[in-house]
Amino acid sequence: MRPIVRVRNLSKRYELRKSHSANPTLREALVGALSSPRARLGNGRSSRDVLWVLRDVNFDVEPGEVIGIIGNNGAGKSTLLKILARITRPSDGEIDIYGRVGSLLEIGTGFHPDLTGRENIYLNATILGMKRREIKGKFDEIVAFSEVEQFLEMPVKFYSTGMYLRLAFAVAAHLEPEVLLLDEVLAVGDLAFQQKCLAKMREVSSEGRTVFFVSHSIAAIQGLCNRVFVVSAGQVSEPENKEIAIAKYVQDGS
Amino acid sequence: MINENARASAPRTSGSLQPTSDLLHSAFLLPEEPVIRIRPSRPFRFINLSEVWAYRDLFYFFVWRDLKVRYKQTVLGALWVILQPLLMTLIFVVFLGIVVHVPTEHVPYPLFLYAALLTWTFFSNAIASSSYSLVVNAPMITKVYFPRVIVPVAAVAVRLSDFLIASVILLVLLVYYGVRPSWNLFMLPPLVVHLTILATGIGLWLSALNVKYRDVGTVIPVLLQLWMFVSPIIYPASLVPARWRMIYNLNPLVGIIENVRASLFGLPFDRGSMISSAVITLLILVYSAYVFHRMEDEFADVV
Repeated sequence: MRPIVRVRNLSKRYELRKSHSANPTLREALVGALSSPRARLGNGRSSRDVLWVLRDVNFDVEPGEVIGIIGNNGAGKSTLLKILARITRPSDGEIDIYGRVGSLLEIGTGFHPDLTGRENIYLNATILGMKRREIKGKFDEIVAFSEVEQFLEMPVKFYSTGMYLRLAFAVAAHLEPEVLLLDEVLAVGDLAFQQKCLAKMREVSSEGRTVFFVSHSIAAIQGLCNRVFVVSAGQVSEPENKEIAIAKYVQDGS
Repeated sequence: MINENARASAPRTSGSLQPTSDLLHSAFLLPEEPVIRIRPSRPFRFINLSEVWAYRDLFYFFVWRDLKVRYKQTVLGALWVILQPLLMTLIFVVFLGIVVHVPTEHVPYPLFLYAALLTWTFFSNAIASSSYSLVVNAPMITKVYFPRVIVPVAAVAVRLSDFLIASVILLVLLVYYGVRPSWNLFMLPPLVVHLTILATGIGLWLSALNVKYRDVGTVIPVLLQLWMFVSPIIYPASLVPARWRMIYNLNPLVGIIENVRASLFGLPFDRGSMISSAVITLLILVYSAYVFHRMEDEFADVV
């Protein structure tokens, strides 16, 4: 089968400034340029540390596969998703994706506290890449899934955390891209919420959607994913045996 | 559930074990060409206009959100939009109109002022809010992909709608002072478009700069204040000595505001300032688009 996602020689490096603060100011930049123009023009590079978050990553993913991405904090899992989601660009390499990509790196991205539940459904769904027509068509379904019908005309700042999460997940669950990227979204919410999310995700993946799924939840990874990627020190590897990898990850990660 | 387990333990090489027909279906429909190509950033690229067009719904919702939130959060809502240029007009009429005589070609000074202050208010608000737009929307920028250019442009569009609302007062003043409409009025829409492009250009540039250098936001209000006084807002451009006019016209607002007045009050247009303004606006837009595009890829890493 032809891959739906093809990643070749993917690398991402960050250049860390040694002397400057994280958020430089225009004043600093101007003063720096004036006081040491030669350093800036000549060997500006050498004063920086280079951090490779991902280095020479290659993989193919076929349509309908559900990929669980595991690894320790800071290993580069989220960076990998952010590159696939086009939020940040790779430093090297190329990725071809033969389908639309929907990313859900956070629950409720772009929710505005002063807008009502109804308004936020439209806003959030648009931000996640749905067309107005699509949202209209799925609106009732989203509301039913969220179980917040009675509060639809109320600003979401008055919602309880549970209501807020349910509404946000309901919108995201109705995204229909060919490739779906999920980052730790199930870590929030109570058990009932997580069960509901897992059930919905199972449904989504059974529809032939390709899913990339970062999680620390062993149960979620075991229950949903048919492939596992281990991200470690900027490298992405696929273990022969998924169970052993998960076991190892538990040892490493705890 | 049984299917799930079967799938989970199936060796990944055997496609035949994949259970649903949907799956095969979607596989057959894979397009020949990639839908998305992700490559390292290159310094010179053109803005992908067709992609921006594909995200027009999002643009619409950003504008809609900002308007909606503003009217929910403020008591006076739309009234503020009208009050801002009106109060400024009042202040200048009281403190300037009485003390000094400003030559206005027989146009009543309040009208002369309001026309320019209305235009100026749009321009300065558009720049101020678009310059902050990327920073304000940072949580979104680090979580979802969309063409970033939508954010500052939507901020300008919000201010444009304010401008259109506040224009109603201008209409009232024109009628009150008995100004007879002339053919010159047909130049008004192109001038507003020109002004919007200028504000967008500067807004794009400052919004990108603001992501990288946070003190840009502190400087902007001061520079805007200065800009207001080097523009023919509370005085006509004709007060500027002829030998300085060439330099004065380098301010692209001169051509716009002078000619907005000319079109409203049926006065002769000033071609010189108009042309220099158009050229400078174009240069600013090209430069801003370049800067914005070059910095765009870094936003999520820096913001």
